[in-house]
Amino acid sequence: MKQLRRYLFGLAGVAALLIAGCGSTTSTTTSSTAPKDITIGTLYAGSGSYATSSLPELAGLKFWMSQVNKDGGVFVKAYNKKIPVKLVDYNDQSDPNTAQTLYTQLITQDKVNILVSDFGSVLTSVAVPIAQEHKMVLFDPTGTGASFFTPTNPYIVLTGLPTSAVWPDNLAKYLLAQNFKKVAIVYAENDFDQSQDETLTTQLKAGGVTPVYNQGVPTTTSNYDVIIHNIAATNPDAVLELGYPNNDIAFLQNLAASGQHFGFLFTIFPGQLFSLLEQNVGAKTLTDTYTYPTPPLLAYNSGVNYGMTISQFTQAFQSANGSAPNFLDIAGYNTGLAIQKTLETAKSLSQLDLRAAAGKIHMFTLDGDFTINKEGAQMGETLPVGQIQASGSGLKTVIVFPSSVATGTAVH
Amino acid sequence: MLRRRWVDAVVVVVVVLAFVLAPQAYSNETLLFQMMVYIALSQGVNILYGFTGYLPFGYVGFFGIGAYGASLLMLHLNWPPILALLGGGAIAVLLGLVLSPLLRLSGAYFAIASLAASQAVYLIVSNPALQNVTYGPYGIQLVSQFNPTLSYYVMVVILALTVAVVLYIRRSRFGTALQAMRDDPVSAAMAGVPVVRQRTFAWMISAGIAGLVGGAFAWQTSVFYPDAVFSLSISIFAIVFTLFGGAGTLLGPLFGSVVLYGMYNTIGISDPQYFQLIYGLLIILLVLFLPDGAASLLKRRGSHVL
Amino acid sequence: MLYALIAGVLFGLYYALIGLGLNLTFGVLRMVNLAHGDFVMIGGFAAVTAFSAWHLHPLWSLVLVAVLIFAVGIALYYVLVPRIAATKDPEMISLVLFFGLSQVIEALAVMRFGNNTQSIYEPVFGKAPVSILGQPFPAVWVVSGLVSLLALLLVYLYLYRTRIGYSTRAVMASREEAEVSGISVHKVSAIAFAIGLGLAAAAGALAPFMLGGITPDLGVGLTITAFAVIVLGSLGNPVGTVAGGLIYGIALMLMQTYLPSWSALLPYLLLLLVLLVKPSGLFGRQVRSA
Repeated sequence: MKQLRRYLFGLAGVAALLIAGCGSTTSTTTSSTAPKDITIGTLYAGSGSYATSSLPELAGLKFWMSQVNKDGGVFVKAYNKKIPVKLVDYNDQSDPNTAQTLYTQLITQDKVNILVSDFGSVLTSVAVPIAQEHKMVLFDPTGTGASFFTPTNPYIVLTGLPTSAVWPDNLAKYLLAQNFKKVAIVYAENDFDQSQDETLTTQLKAGGVTPVYNQGVPTTTSNYDVIIHNIAATNPDAVLELGYPNNDIAFLQNLAASGQHFGFLFTIFPGQLFSLLEQNVGAKTLTDTYTYPTPPLLAYNSGVNYGMTISQFTQAFQSANGSAPNFLDIAGYNTGLAIQKTLETAKSLSQLDLRAAAGKIHMFTLDGDFTINKEGAQMGETLPVGQIQASGSGLKTVIVFPSSVATGTAVH
Repeated sequence: MLRRRWVDAVVVVVVVLAFVLAPQAYSNETLLFQMMVYIALSQGVNILYGFTGYLPFGYVGFFGIGAYGASLLMLHLNWPPILALLGGGAIAVLLGLVLSPLLRLSGAYFAIASLAASQAVYLIVSNPALQNVTYGPYGIQLVSQFNPTLSYYVMVVILALTVAVVLYIRRSRFGTALQAMRDDPVSAAMAGVPVVRQRTFAWMISAGIAGLVGGAFAWQTSVFYPDAVFSLSISIFAIVFTLFGGAGTLLGPLFGSVVLYGMYNTIGISDPQYFQLIYGLLIILLVLFLPDGAASLLKRRGSHVL
Repeated sequence: MLYALIAGVLFGLYYALIGLGLNLTFGVLRMVNLAHGDFVMIGGFAAVTAFSAWHLHPLWSLVLVAVLIFAVGIALYYVLVPRIAATKDPEMISLVLFFGLSQVIEALAVMRFGNNTQSIYEPVFGKAPVSILGQPFPAVWVVSGLVSLLALLLVYLYLYRTRIGYSTRAVMASREEAEVSGISVHKVSAIAFAIGLGLAAAAGALAPFMLGGITPDLGVGLTITAFAVIVLGSLGNPVGTVAGGLIYGIALMLMQTYLPSWSALLPYLLLLLVLLVKPSGLFGRQVRSA
């Protein structure tokens, strides 16, 4: 019996630890009186493969917060007054399983008013069902996986980018317009890049062009030398490498070291993380290559009817953070704008009212036209085709397609 | 004998009650769910490592195949979730059978070969060539089956089963035989223990547990990419928790998972910037100063640890 | 085809360099250093930082960082290993210990260097591709191939032409017997461990050119690939590493040519195949049990 008592005691200890070990947190009130502050909960990847993109996105969101709090907070229509914004942020270390518990923590323990997902599809994916389960609208800055947006889930809004499958629309049109017959594509095998490859090949084939080289490689590929050699052997008119930032860096580096040169070369991330790419592969390697330019390379100044213009933002962000913003800073800030506009127009702070308000947003920000469809996917903010060209001692990005937004013509 | 059964029953009931009641006190069910996942996985590691001395670094392979097996049975064949979980578990057992030749290897060779096997399974499952079957890199999406509450309670059942299995093994001649093999395989074989068959059996039980847990995890998570269920960190967590608590006992891995996973989350919530650093240091210190697990502290003082 | 073969040889030699130190450590300590790849990462960041700050040529960084990390390795050995070696199951416990170390190193690297990829794009090894059998290869590949061969030669000389190398081989053959015959096992092991880390850091100095760029999370993946390489050759036999590296390199490049989508699967399949068919590796001893 003595033994039994000891077991029970031990297990009671375990149970106590179980409850105590989980940590305790404060909660905010949700009564009809105006809350002291609007809490926004988000995750960031402080380390791991998504940190490069996740940290600037968080910086952008924080910048937006500091801007609205400077004015006494965000205007909340439901209470007809300005309320300060407070941020709760946790580090998921790029691990989706850790992210899962932390998203739930934000919802159930911190009881945040607004939930914002971490960067990219992988870290957003696990938030989608959790948000739906707890009936929280998920403000999704950059998780562009097409499968997140379904008619049965009213709890998601994609704010920073269109879904990845529609990214290559303009690119495919441009390639066909240039009359390129031999197109070579190498893509990394993940949702983001493979869905672009599928869209691209479908549209090219509809235009009568079948790629001469179309191969997927593991996303972990860090050396493209032999692949470049094999692509060169097909004598392509155009080469497209679709990857994550590290794939693009490895590809461009290997290309420079190999001595090969392709007349038309397209990669994704110079358009989003320009300075990172420039630091890693050099200006010379980037010159005359093509990309999807995103803000700030795509400079939306005139026509912006909500939030800062790109010039104002670049200046203010630079003086606040000491470094020039990249696209992800803008995506973070733009998510803040979407939240701001939502709060300005929502009838109440109930999540369905927030979602209804977000669905009605039509604004033109520094990230372009903001319009979401019924399923919450972003329809605006389309991506043109741009070329990186030499300009004096530096580089500039010229939008070459479509003609409605073009700022120049391509050089070969 | 009767008293032992009593004790066993009490242990199972306490574990079940703890997790049935915990959501009342603490509403982060995802955290509680993952804690159950890790308790069950560390018990699975325990069955293999604690009783046979084989450390499966690639244990996550069974977890991942269970997650995928269950998901694909739901998506392609429209199996009801609970049946699909059993199917996922069966697929994991099957994978265990296929990989059983690995048990011919010893020590680090086995650890690394099992790691390689799990990575190979991951790369096959996530390859675009199998997109029509596994959805390749696009991952899994279980919208219509999504049921967080039911999957939580199913996980409680799986956990209870796992605990019961470990208790059974500890009490049975099978467990005694396994431990005899671990300590001295040659003598055990000479004493008439069918070494290879027994060890393979333990390996498959362990695989089945991971498969079931993986299926439940997939059902609970419902939207995920392949790397989420094949992440090496899942193996490592289960192993670290087992070692910290003390392999070869029941309460060791249970205690290890609750304390360390609890700590992991406490650090993550209170000190997000130093998350990785603190956790890494903690692992080093534990291994240096408590290499045989927390259970060894009690054993040293002469108590029997269940 | 010819191009892929030669590329495979050059790339394989580089992977042999990455695996070499890991194998030496395993051979002597019977412990698997899961943080091995993190020392490659440190070497990489050191080379990038030294180049951008003082324009130091990566080959100089290679030598400096190898020496520095060697010293760190000696200290690290005495802090970590003796305690672990005294436990019941050091082979397994060490896996966990070095995993913890790997986490700490990665976390510190993030604090010091940030998360962004860093690399050196200036053509420090000359702009023109080098021609081998009429096929043009990036100059740095040839340099890294030569560096790897040199490192292999040095390790070979150390093991077979020095007194301490003789003791090292005795420890590799049997720790107990070596101890009985009066060899200072800890001293020999500490040096082997430190050489292993130094070699990892040396390989790291070339990583900015061979692996696309350096990120703090590079370590774990590299360690696993390095394992595949050394098991192919044979665990515990540093010289067999060359064979493992070459097989891995050539097979990888052929896969990238003919079946690129499956190329990541390759090291694991090779590893499983070798372990199951000839578990001692191509040049190894008995490792199976009952």
